[in-house]
Amino acid sequence: MRTKSSITEKRIEEHSFLCLSSSKTIKNRVHQHTPCSTVFAMKRPISRDGDGNGDLLKMKKVKVDGDANAEENCVLRGMRYFDDNVLFEVLKHVDARTLAMASCVNKQWHKTAQDERLWELICTKQWANTGCGEEQLRSVVLALGGFRRLHSLYLRPLSKPYSSSSSSSSSSPTSSSVWGPISQAAVAPRPKPLPPRLGKDAVHLSLSLLSIRFYEKMSNFNNRTR
Amino acid sequence: MDELLAVVGYKVRSSDMAEVAQKLEQLEEAMGNARDGISQLSNDTVHFNPADISNWLETMINNLDVPPPPHPPLPQQHSGKAIYTTAAATADSLSPSSKRVKPSPAESSSSTRPLVLVDSQENGIRLVHTLMACAEAVHQNNLSLAEALVKQIGFLAVSQVGAMRKVATYFAEALARRIYGLYPENPIHHSFSDMLQIHFYETCPYLKFAHFTANQAILEAFQGKNRVHVIDFSMNQGMQWPALMQALALRPGGPPAFRLTGIGPPAADNSDHLQEVGWKLAQLAETIHVEFEYRGFVANSLADLDASMLELRPSETEAVAVNSVFELHKLLARPGAVEKVLSVVRQIRPEIVTVVEQEANHNGPGFLDRFTESLHYYSTMFDSLEGSVNSQDKVMSEVYLGKQICNVVACEGVDRVERHETLGQWRTRFGSAGFTPVHLGSNAFKQASMLLALFAGGDGYRVEENNGCLMLGWHTRPLIATSAWQLATKSVVAH
Repeated sequence: MRTKSSITEKRIEEHSFLCLSSSKTIKNRVHQHTPCSTVFAMKRPISRDGDGNGDLLKMKKVKVDGDANAEENCVLRGMRYFDDNVLFEVLKHVDARTLAMASCVNKQWHKTAQDERLWELICTKQWANTGCGEEQLRSVVLALGGFRRLHSLYLRPLSKPYSSSSSSSSSSPTSSSVWGPISQAAVAPRPKPLPPRLGKDAVHLSLSLLSIRFYEKMSNFNNRTR
Repeated sequence: MDELLAVVGYKVRSSDMAEVAQKLEQLEEAMGNARDGISQLSNDTVHFNPADISNWLETMINNLDVPPPPHPPLPQQHSGKAIYTTAAATADSLSPSSKRVKPSPAESSSSTRPLVLVDSQENGIRLVHTLMACAEAVHQNNLSLAEALVKQIGFLAVSQVGAMRKVATYFAEALARRIYGLYPENPIHHSFSDMLQIHFYETCPYLKFAHFTANQAILEAFQGKNRVHVIDFSMNQGMQWPALMQALALRPGGPPAFRLTGIGPPAADNSDHLQEVGWKLAQLAETIHVEFEYRGFVANSLADLDASMLELRPSETEAVAVNSVFELHKLLARPGAVEKVLSVVRQIRPEIVTVVEQEANHNGPGFLDRFTESLHYYSTMFDSLEGSVNSQDKVMSEVYLGKQICNVVACEGVDRVERHETLGQWRTRFGSAGFTPVHLGSNAFKQASMLLALFAGGDGYRVEENNGCLMLGWHTRPLIATSAWQLATKSVVAH
C-alpha cells in the first residue's frame, strides 16, 4: 500500500487541478476506455486498494468543484508534481495496450506501469468468475510470475483469436465430435478494441501455462538438458 | 481440378495431368515436324472448350494427324499421405505458391518440360515402394535382396526433402540394423532420453495435450477431497504436475493436501533424479502454498511394483489417482505383465486412472503389417513437426521419434518395448481387467483446442472426441489418445 502520509492537503489540491488541466492525453484515453466514468466521478469501485485511495479521490472531487483560480498556477508548475500515486490512479482505468505503452514513457512511468496491481486489474477485468477468492488468486499468480507476465504471455494471445483483425488462429481446430469447434465469433468484433471476456477454460489454460513456465525456469532445469 | 492451372483459366483434372503432359509433348513434336501444315491449326481447327486443355490437345493432335507414340502409362496412384514432393520451378505465369511443399498427395503443374516434374514425383513413389519391398524381403528372410534394397533407399531418400526424407532415413537405418543384426543398445541412457523428451515436449503439443487432458480428468475426480494422492507411472521430469498443483491451489475453498508418488526407471549414472524432481516440485508447492508430500520409486519395470510398497492410506482419508503417459505399452513386451499391473492398480482402488497412449497398432504379429503401420504413423508425426520454429528442438524431437522407429522395426522379443496399441485395443484390455470408462468433459476438449490454437504452426492439429476419450491428431490422422478409467464396482458414473 502506498503511504499517503507525505502528501499534504495542499498538494492534493494542486494535483487534482493538474490532472484536470495538464494530463489531457491520459484523460482522453481514460474517457475513451471508461465511457461511463471519469477519473473523478469514480463510479467503478476501487475498494481493492482500501479506503485510503477512495477518500483521496473523494477529496479531489470536492476540491475540483470548489476552486477555479488554482488552475492557472498548476499549469505553470507542469509535470513535476505528477507523482506516482496520481499516475497510478489514472493508469487504473486504461486498457492493456495503453498500460504497456505507458511503461515506455519514462522511468517514473515505467516503474508505475509495471505495478502488479494494475495488471491484476487488467487481467481480472477480462475474466469470467474463476470461482476462487481474490487473495487466493493473487498469491498464487504472484508466486508463479505475476499478472503482467500472465497477460502478455498467455491472456493476450488467447484473446487474439476473438478479435476481428487476427489471422493467426483463423483456422479453428475442427473436430468430428458433438462439441464442435470453439466458436470463433464468441465475441462480436467491435470498432474499439475493448478486451473481450475470456472464458473459464482460457483462464485455466493460461494459469497452467504460467505454472509450467515457472517450473521450467526453476534452477537445475537447464542442467538436465546438458 | 488442378488449382494452379485454374488460376490462369485452364480446367484440367489432376488425374489427367500426366496425359495432358504427354499430349503437349506430342503436339510439340508434331508441330516441330510438320513444316508446312501448321497454319491449318489456326485457321481450320474448331475448338469448343479451350479451357479444357485435354480436349483442345486432342483436337489439335487429330488435326495434325499424328499417330500417338507408345508411352508407358505413368503411375499416378500412390499411397497418399506418405509422399511429398516440391513442385519444380514452373513458368512465372503460374501461381507463385507453386514452390510450397504441399501436405497432400502430390499435384504436378504443367510446364514446358513435364517429364522433369514427373520424375521427382516418381522418386517419392519409388522410395515408398522400395521401403515396402525391403520390409517384405526382411519379412521373408531374403536378406540379400533386403540389403540391396536398403542401399537404394538411402539414395532415394536423399532426393526427397523435408519430412519424407527424414522418415525414410530413420526407417532405412532401422531396416539396416535388422538386416545386419546390429541391434541398438537397450535400455537407452535415461538422462539422454529425458533430454530428448524435454525437447519433444517443447516442439509439439502432444505431450502438453496429454498432460492437460489427464490433469483435467484428475481434477474432476478429486473434487471435494481433502487429501489427494497421485501415483505417476511416467514421472520423467514431472512436467505434468505444476499445472495440476496450480489448479489445486486455486480451488475454491483452498487446496487439498497433495501427495505424489513418482515411479521411474533407474538412472544409469546412479543419480537419484527422481528425488531431484521431487525437490523441485516441493519448492513449487511451497511457493503456492500447497501441502506437498513426495516419494520416488525406482523400478525397472512397472510389473515389479506391488500395492504394498506404495504406502497407501485408507481410502476414506485419501483419494488416489493413477497416471500413465506412454508407459503401459512397454509392458506388452512381457507376457502377463500388463495384467499384473492392472490388478495392482485395482488393489490401489483409485478414483481415476488416466492413460495416454499412441493411437496406432504397432504390435501386430506380422512384421510387414507393423512396418506399414509405423511408416504411416511416423510420417504423419514428422509432418506435424515440420512447422515448428525452433530447429534445435525439432532435431531433438526427430531423434526422439527416430529411437522409437528403431525399436519398432529393428527389435524383437523383450527388447521391443514400443508396442503401441490403439484405443480400441486398450478399451478391451481395461474392460476385461475390471474398469469402466470415465468420460472426459467438454472443458478438457476446449482447453486442448485452445492450447493448439496457441501453438505456432498449429493449423494442422485436430482434437477429436471419441466416446468420451480425446484424441489429438494431425489433419485426419489421430496420433495420441487420452482415456480415463474407474473401477467397475463404483456405482457413480461421472457426468
